[in-house]
Amino acid sequence: MSSEVLRVSNLRKRFNDLLVIDSISFSIKSGEFFCILGPSGCGKTTLLRIIAGFEDYEGEVLLKGEKIKKPGPDRVLVFQDYALFPWRTVIGNVLFGIESKLQKREALKVAEEMLKLVGLEGFEKSYPHELSGGMKQRVALARALVCDPAILLMDEPLSALDAQTRMEMQAELVKIWQRTKKTIVYVTHSIEEAVFLADRILVLSKRPARAKALVEVKLERPRNRFDAKFTEISQKIYDLLKD
Amino acid sequence: MKLRIFYVSISVSIFLIFWETFYYFFIRDPFLLAPPSKVIPTFVKLITLQDPSFKMPVDIVFSLYHYALGFSSALIIGISLGLLMGFSRTLENLLSPIVELIRPIPPIAWIPISILLLKLTHTAAGFIIFIGSFFPILLNTRHGVASVEKKFVEVALTLGASRFEILRKVIIPASMPSIFTGIRVGSGVAWMCVVAAELFGVSAYGLGYQIEIARLYHAPEIVISYMVCIGLVGYALDNVYKFLASRFLRWRRGLVVE
Ligand SMILES: Nc1ncnc2c1ncn2[C@@H]1O[C@H](COP(=O)(O)OP(=O)(O)OP(=O)(O)O)[C@@H](O)[C@H]1O
Ligand SMILES: [Mg+2]
Repeated sequence: MSSEVLRVSNLRKRFNDLLVIDSISFSIKSGEFFCILGPSGCGKTTLLRIIAGFEDYEGEVLLKGEKIKKPGPDRVLVFQDYALFPWRTVIGNVLFGIESKLQKREALKVAEEMLKLVGLEGFEKSYPHELSGGMKQRVALARALVCDPAILLMDEPLSALDAQTRMEMQAELVKIWQRTKKTIVYVTHSIEEAVFLADRILVLSKRPARAKALVEVKLERPRNRFDAKFTEISQKIYDLLKD
Repeated sequence: MKLRIFYVSISVSIFLIFWETFYYFFIRDPFLLAPPSKVIPTFVKLITLQDPSFKMPVDIVFSLYHYALGFSSALIIGISLGLLMGFSRTLENLLSPIVELIRPIPPIAWIPISILLLKLTHTAAGFIIFIGSFFPILLNTRHGVASVEKKFVEVALTLGASRFEILRKVIIPASMPSIFTGIRVGSGVAWMCVVAAELFGVSAYGLGYQIEIARLYHAPEIVISYMVCIGLVGYALDNVYKFLASRFLRWRRGLVVE
């Protein structure tokens, strides 16, 4: 029985007159890989930004019992387009969140270990524009992980990658998640990706987003995309999204 | 590199030949204009301190002193004010009307009031140079801060950065390219203002001052030698900033076509 990290209840969000999120409730357990799945434009990014602390909202969003009011390193958001600082090297980017909190040598050690974990040893001194999309995403992931957040928020982090790299990164993300035991909230609009990654999947409706279902994926990891059970769950979610 | 030297020598030669022929066909009066065949030896004489009344190296030092006086204060005040205006809405709203009103006044129009107020001093020259270079630096810095992408600030926030850290670790480095543009434009204007300010005799030395004295002597070869010197020093100054920019903005290589 793991403990609850995040609780969202009766969450509503409007931009002026546009209702984007309509009374959503769910909670996330510690160490869980939680996917949010929904059609394009339904409000997934908005939901993630609310948890990150960038948007105001109606209702309740509690992190370990405390209301979320502003952004902070206990909930690091990984942006879809990486948003690496182009004026910093790879190691400089990873150091950003810890250099003022840890001693220089210790910070460097933590950052280098994290780069090893995401498979970027030897690229410490490269600048972001010298990296491929997959490598940039790894840097963004390492930069978030060194802050040791209670929740890692990821907004379609792999959607800009080609299919091959994307599948490799998914497998690697699962490994990193297993090793770091982080709670991950992962937004995607790909059913296959959600089923491959998640412990549970929150399926959202078209805008305004409502919770359609909460699907539990009880498959062993590493998962096989061609497994009968895998396709069965995918089919079920597909039907859910359709109507 | 070899090719570049080749092109430079070709273009300079063509220009000099054109100038020389122009002089011999149309002017032919040593009190009005001097041909390069006369300017070049004069320049060499002046720069090697062989002339009793025109000491060019000393004038360079004095002009650079005026330049440093005005330009360094413009740098400090322009960059800090630009950062603050870009960072704080209130300050921007408060200061930008003043800036917009004062900016269109050409630096040269400030010379009389500057001399009345500060007399014929180095500070008076420095003030004119400050006025000239302050605005490009301020405006480019402010523009740089205003165009920092929002996502970088958000990343910093989500990684736990404080307001001051955001200024130091995001706003300033992200605005650096723009700040350097301001520095180069500002330095160019500052150098032009040096000549203008010195014309009015704020000190007994300086490139701008001597160019006017040489005119009173009816010595166009000295006037032109000083013009060449002003051009060369200005070119050297710009190259210093170009070099510094390429050192500080290494990360931009591969992002923009220079
Ligand atoms: N700052 C804002 N102001 C006004 N409307 C906004 C704002 N941000 C988002 N919206 C609107 O809210 C809706 C949901 O946007 P959101 O980005 O959350 O969708 P999404 O599910 O992430 O879409 P996608 O799959 O395309 O990324 C959209 O209709 C969008 O136009
Ligand atoms: Mg989105």
